[in-house]
Amino acid sequence: MKRIIFVLAVTVFCACSKSSDSGGETPDAFDKTAMLTNYADNLIIPGYTALQQKLQVLQTASDAFLAAPTLVTQAALKTAYVDAQLQYERITSFHFGPAENALLDIFANFSGSLDYNFNTAGQLTGFSIDSVSIENNISTGTYNLTTMTRASFYSQGFPALNYLYFGPNAIAKFGTNTAARVKYVKDLVTRLKNLVDGIVTGWGTYRTEFIANTKTNVGSPIGNMVNQMAYQMDLLKGPRIGWPFGKQSNGTVFATKVEAYFTGNSVALAVENINALKKTYNGGGNGKGLSDYLVALNKTTLNNDVLAQFDLVSTKLSAIPDPLSTSLTTQTAAVEAAYKEIQKLLTLLKTDVASATAVQITFVDNDGD
Amino acid sequence: METKEDQISSGAALQLPVSHRSLAKRVTALLASFRQPVSIAPLITFRIVFGLLMFLSLIRFWYRGWITSVYVTPDFHFTYIGFEWVQPLGNLSMHLLFLTIIIAALLITLGLFYRLAAILFFIGFTYVELLDVTTYLNHYYFISLVAFLMIWLPANRDYSLDVLIKPEKRRKQVPAWTIGILRFQMAVVYIFAGLAKLNPDWLLDAQPMRTWLPAKTHLPIVGAYMYETWVAYLFSWFGAVYDLFIVFFLLNRKTRPYAYAVVVIFHIATAIFFPGIGMFPYVMISCSLIFFSGAFHEKLQRFFPFYDHSFNDAAYRFKYNLSIVVGIYVFLQLVIPLRFLLYPGHLFWHEEGYRFSWRVMLMEKAGSAYFTVKDKDHSIEVNNAEFLTPLQEKMMCTQPDLILKYAHHLAKVFETRGLVNPEVYGEVYVSLNGERSRLFIDSTINLAETPVSWKHYNWVLPYRN
Repeated sequence: MKRIIFVLAVTVFCACSKSSDSGGETPDAFDKTAMLTNYADNLIIPGYTALQQKLQVLQTASDAFLAAPTLVTQAALKTAYVDAQLQYERITSFHFGPAENALLDIFANFSGSLDYNFNTAGQLTGFSIDSVSIENNISTGTYNLTTMTRASFYSQGFPALNYLYFGPNAIAKFGTNTAARVKYVKDLVTRLKNLVDGIVTGWGTYRTEFIANTKTNVGSPIGNMVNQMAYQMDLLKGPRIGWPFGKQSNGTVFATKVEAYFTGNSVALAVENINALKKTYNGGGNGKGLSDYLVALNKTTLNNDVLAQFDLVSTKLSAIPDPLSTSLTTQTAAVEAAYKEIQKLLTLLKTDVASATAVQITFVDNDGD
Repeated sequence: METKEDQISSGAALQLPVSHRSLAKRVTALLASFRQPVSIAPLITFRIVFGLLMFLSLIRFWYRGWITSVYVTPDFHFTYIGFEWVQPLGNLSMHLLFLTIIIAALLITLGLFYRLAAILFFIGFTYVELLDVTTYLNHYYFISLVAFLMIWLPANRDYSLDVLIKPEKRRKQVPAWTIGILRFQMAVVYIFAGLAKLNPDWLLDAQPMRTWLPAKTHLPIVGAYMYETWVAYLFSWFGAVYDLFIVFFLLNRKTRPYAYAVVVIFHIATAIFFPGIGMFPYVMISCSLIFFSGAFHEKLQRFFPFYDHSFNDAAYRFKYNLSIVVGIYVFLQLVIPLRFLLYPGHLFWHEEGYRFSWRVMLMEKAGSAYFTVKDKDHSIEVNNAEFLTPLQEKMMCTQPDLILKYAHHLAKVFETRGLVNPEVYGEVYVSLNGERSRLFIDSTINLAETPVSWKHYNWVLPYRN
């Protein structure tokens, strides 16, 4: 008995101390902390800060429009709005940490989520706008923007503002029940701003934790980024392009369910999104990114193919003329071509890149062997 | 006492004098040695440790919300062939079922209503495992097997509440095979896991270690070496040698303490490197204690409170001759892992005979699957997230039989949505052991018409063209 305890103790001691005798860098070691620092300092924090600033500009333009709803103020507002939403598309791969805590993706730009794309009436949800709930909120004046329901997600954020600013007879509608409508819009802008302000503040402290965690498991920074890129590709394949195009509805086109229907810049937003995903993948081009990590893992061919596929998707998407709502029926070949390439990129990211980096594509933790 | 028992249970039949003996006599002697009374102590420790470990791991499963996310949330479950009738209960009943198994595990530990508890635990645990193939794990299978064995073993005949209530039931000796069968079960796990590692990917390419280890650079001290290829080879070869030979070192009295130390270190290392493997290392560390001698366990049990040192002469005897039943069990355990030999094609790619064969942490496989459901008027692309949880989808993408089951489910669902005799086509891409993803199944085959069977999956594209 004593001998066994002794043997155990000695062996554990040896096993623990043996590996500490020589340190030093190995030749092809890849510095993940440097990569994460690049992400935090050059992409994520500047991305959210820029969004914060653009929402500030939007708020100013919005207030001007609300004070005097005319074609002129609306045009100025449109520039600020489009600008802010484009910036939003640039941070979609960073929906974790503070953004996840704030549930930014469901409150700022709800996409219907992937597990449920048709409602009980068989109508596509996707980037819907719940105009009934919005008008109801305005007329009753009682609403809670933090409620966790689909009606709540669909009556705030960019989609709701898109409808309120640029929807049918938008200017005229400010003539009736003006005060309540103005208040609702102001509340939506404030809510959006507060969400993003909170995230920028959150990154002030989260940054340290982010760059220190070089794991790749579920919930780690690297795991999160790979999963978010795959998820955004799923959104591109589903709610952004495939669903309104009728891929899951036997060709029934849902033209009004495209992202930002009333501003008619869905393709521009999708292109911005895919270009931003590429930047996430290559670390912005200058600093270290996942792309460099793949090269360090001797996956140069895969890396080149992924980069080329990003460019191809971007090109094919750009070939679809905006507004997408019209092109879905008039430019089917172009949409189909883009869709095909999106699926290829999705497979590369979800299967090959995830596998090569040993990242699990799943949003839940589980036992395994 | 110690040497005698060691001889008997460490496959000591080989050490019997063989000269001048006929085969029949040798078999008789061998069978007699299995029935030789030995100390019950190893069985007692095993019962306590196994029960406690199950108690803790089931509570962990509950605490992590996995009962709900794995068995309550999904609308569809991947059943095992022949077990389609095993369906999950509702939210409340599922939790009550787990509560029952948890209490049963505790009763096993305490040795109270032991046989009933063992039966409940086995049925409950196995029922849960049969609910969904996508949650299959080798060590869950191992737990089911051990739980089955525990039903028949007299593991409550000492240091238990059962003997406290009925002291006349107490026995200090049991037939050698009751301990031997558990050692055999451990040996099956280790040796088959070792044999499974004897493949070119593992030995020559150090895959999947070469893929997994660079993800572990965050570990203190050893992290810096994780990009080194030789480390991946070291892990692979050491793992194979360990699995193949550890049982023999555990069986030998002289090497046993060292071997057990290696068991502890090896499994703690795997727990640190691969936290995703959950309870597996702890199951192996605790169950390996069964290799220690009766004398060792008796000494160990002196530290237990209320331990009764008095010796009881009568050995436990089974009322019936179980030789044939035990023989069949042993035979099945040796044959089931080998059934892959009946199938052509690359085992890792087709996965025919992959489950229930102790292939632990053996490959890195990932996939993406896109399905289209068609009839003459429709062509609809399926949104997998609508039907499957992320875990189910992930497991389905790479396992042919699950792809088929899912396709059949889709055909049924879309029939209710108004499609007439729907056809299901799958475009599935799979990446194996760091290779580039490739088309996995024939995308022109109507999966709805392809039957689930034990026959070779000829609709899966060959691994190499």
